[in-house]
Amino acid sequence: MEQEKVLASIVRISLLVLLVRCFYLQVIRFPYYANLSRKQCIRTIEIGIPRGRILDRNGRVLAEDEPCFDLVFVPYDLKHPAQEAELLSSLVPIEKEKLIAAFTRKYRNPFDRIILKKSLSQVEVASVSENAYQLPGIFVQAGLKRRYVLGKVTAHLLGHLGEVSEEQLERWKDKGLKAGDVIGQDGLEKYYDDLLRGIPGGILVEVDALGHHRRILGEKKMQPGCDLYLTVDRTFQEVAFEALGENEGCVLAMDPRNGQILALVSQPAYDPHQPEKFFSRPGKPFLNRPLQGQYPPGSVFKIVTEIAALETMSIEEHDRVECTGEMTVGNIVFHCWKEDGHGWVDIDQALPFSCNIFFGTIGMKTGVSRILDYARLFQLGEATGIDLPGEKKGLVPEPQQSGGPLNIAIGQGALLTTPLQLLSLISTVANGGNIWRPYLVKRVISPAGKPVKEATSQLTGTVYVTPETMEILRKGLKNVVAYGTGTAASVPGIPVAGKTGTAQRGASEIGLSTHGAFACYAPADNPSLALVVFLDKAASRQAARIAGEILRKILLPGQEESSQETTLGTEKRDENL
Amino acid sequence: MKISDKSLCRLFILTYVLVFLGLILLFSASKGTFLRAKGIFNTGGIFFWQQLIWVILGSLGLVVGKRFPYWNFKRLVWLLYPLTIFLLILVLVMGQGKASRWIRVGPLNFQPAEFGKVVLIFSLAAYLTERNVNQLGVFIWSLLITGVPAVLIFKQPNLGTSFIFLLACLVIMYQAGLTRRRLLTIVLVALSISPLLWLTLESYQKERILTFLWPQRDPLGRGYNLLQSKITIGSGGLIGKGYLHGTQTKLAFLPEYHNDFIFCLLAEEFGLVGVIIFFGLYYLFLNEILTIISSTRDEFARLVAAGIFALFFFHATINISMTLGLFPVAGIPLPFISYGGSFMLVALFCVGVLANIKQNAVMF
Repeated sequence: MEQEKVLASIVRISLLVLLVRCFYLQVIRFPYYANLSRKQCIRTIEIGIPRGRILDRNGRVLAEDEPCFDLVFVPYDLKHPAQEAELLSSLVPIEKEKLIAAFTRKYRNPFDRIILKKSLSQVEVASVSENAYQLPGIFVQAGLKRRYVLGKVTAHLLGHLGEVSEEQLERWKDKGLKAGDVIGQDGLEKYYDDLLRGIPGGILVEVDALGHHRRILGEKKMQPGCDLYLTVDRTFQEVAFEALGENEGCVLAMDPRNGQILALVSQPAYDPHQPEKFFSRPGKPFLNRPLQGQYPPGSVFKIVTEIAALETMSIEEHDRVECTGEMTVGNIVFHCWKEDGHGWVDIDQALPFSCNIFFGTIGMKTGVSRILDYARLFQLGEATGIDLPGEKKGLVPEPQQSGGPLNIAIGQGALLTTPLQLLSLISTVANGGNIWRPYLVKRVISPAGKPVKEATSQLTGTVYVTPETMEILRKGLKNVVAYGTGTAASVPGIPVAGKTGTAQRGASEIGLSTHGAFACYAPADNPSLALVVFLDKAASRQAARIAGEILRKILLPGQEESSQETTLGTEKRDENL
Repeated sequence: MKISDKSLCRLFILTYVLVFLGLILLFSASKGTFLRAKGIFNTGGIFFWQQLIWVILGSLGLVVGKRFPYWNFKRLVWLLYPLTIFLLILVLVMGQGKASRWIRVGPLNFQPAEFGKVVLIFSLAAYLTERNVNQLGVFIWSLLITGVPAVLIFKQPNLGTSFIFLLACLVIMYQAGLTRRRLLTIVLVALSISPLLWLTLESYQKERILTFLWPQRDPLGRGYNLLQSKITIGSGGLIGKGYLHGTQTKLAFLPEYHNDFIFCLLAEEFGLVGVIIFFGLYYLFLNEILTIISSTRDEFARLVAAGIFALFFFHATINISMTLGLFPVAGIPLPFISYGGSFMLVALFCVGVLANIKQNAVMF
């Protein structure tokens, strides 16, 4: 039939075309390809791409790539591995045995360049280059290394880089990654890796017998990564790190008017240039405490209890409760932190002095489920949505599993929050009820200078609280710093409002020290700054002291000496109370 | 079972000569190549032995195809076609974020797309039997029957195989009597739709297709592979470097010498002479299928045979064009030669079906 004949001629024509092509390659171009094949001289060389820079809110650099020289070798081009290893070990500080082991291993592609040592010193570059003719297959190659200007100070904010793992390769097949590539492994470096990384380039070259370039056969243009402009202030970051000192814990600050994070510090920190040295250190240096540490909020949570009690009209402003230092509910004795008791107190006095008996009592009146409802309104128990990897959600338990109103009212029981959630809570109080999504990256700029992404503040919710309640709460928070438990955080001339929190660790951990927290905002009447200091193993007073140190340095630049005195003065008063 | 028919005899001989050639080449490919998945250099003949098992299984498939009356498939497609679609969706759902072409059944990985090829041929042939493909409704239904699995495979993503689906569909429709004008219309419509499809793609997908079409864009990846492929073929010269003496293949410049690039091995070790003999064998084989189409008057059989013809023809020509740098690198195996179990099974089963058609041709 007709169709079969047409198909038969299509077959004939196709096979003829292929045959002609084979004839061309195998006969006419034979000398060329045979030559290339004999010498095995085609190599691919990757050209490193600079990662995007990370800059603070004022354009000061926090992380950037800088050029360096790397020592590399091509397994196939090594002529005498043993001799070369011997010579090389006298030039650079690598043991001969290690070199031999590296040289004699089997590689997936024997023509790939393998990095022996990154960032050579000038002397090493010179001595290796001088001996190049005795070291076939070993080269000095221009490379890049990441520099974190503030080192440890920004470890948890920026994260660090590391080689892509097998599992990541599998997961991100579409991203054009390959084994040996370096990607962000934590912090902003990880969260914004796609934007920071850029597209790698490289060349396809023909090399001579020693492995040196002769001719470029193809080239792929690289595309550098984008720059990130942060909301973080470099000075604030440094001040916070310094004030926190060696205490295990974290400091974080944001603008309560829009959710821009100003500082984020966690201790113990690690050196982002060599994270591998910290993998086995104690104190979990890789835990990003502000968003990955989950703790009972302690007395800071009394803010929520107070709002719940007043809003549900379980109490009124001047209802008084007598604190004798302890109360008995059922057969459990419940203690106030002040053993002698606070006497008769109303809410205006109870908050500044953080009276547990008062808050326990109003907690029982309000009921655990209503307090927890308010906790949920403030979005505790939910991730805040900050642009950092690995954020934890905390826990707002069901009423039955909460540990009862007495415990919940003072921020104990089954309740868990991250320090970042406390920051969000205090910011929401500061701005009158708006919950802003905390964010770190303000702007992303392409290498060509064009804005790729412009972040705007995002409202994730609003808590409606009557002005009267807000008034009472704010007055109380102001008095915490004016004459209550948080006097160490006072700043001369600028009213600060805050709340201390000392949380006991779980019942099973009795005997361990407490967590100390301080959450505050300033100026109290027109807040432009919210700050949380959270210490893993300390009392809240120390947290307040650290907060005071930071606030004074930030709000009163250049007056550190005089403010130091005030700290001492207030501390004395603190002890008298 | 008697193979009295001379044509049948030729079909089987040609098939097994090609299969044998494939095993010989795989043995050579096994020597000294690098096993990416296991991270070791392969010294034994692992591809060879595994493939031998598949050849034996495939031969069982051939016997089944030869014994089982082919017209039963007319009704069976009502079961097989939905099953294939289900499996293709399953592959997409299960393998999220991974290369999702396989389904694991016990120790075996099998690719629904490979079996989908045969099911599509039967389904389309069954649909077009006793229908006029030149009627618009029938014409559109035929495209739909092909399009659904093709899109699912395209999503895997397996551009090459979905392309084969469309080509097989065209050949079956042509065999069913589609006018040349309509054939031309399809090609033109496909060409004019492609820019629209292009706009819906993500930038990384575009980049991937661009390097797929022009490997030179990516000199370190596909461009490098293509250059090495051409060096391998070109350096084979007129008579080749000799069996087991291919230098390019032994150094494992390409990851796929046992698979998609096995033609390079043939060209390197046996030279242009080997290539000519190979093309000759393939020409005779394809010609035999065309003879079988002519020998029967059963419309269904003719359409099925045409589909099988298209399968072998396009697989072979696209695969070889790819290694010669005439076609984008598409991940399409060379029938009977490339390493791979699913396709070997499918290919030998198809030969069995062809035999069955030929045996029963006298009845129609």
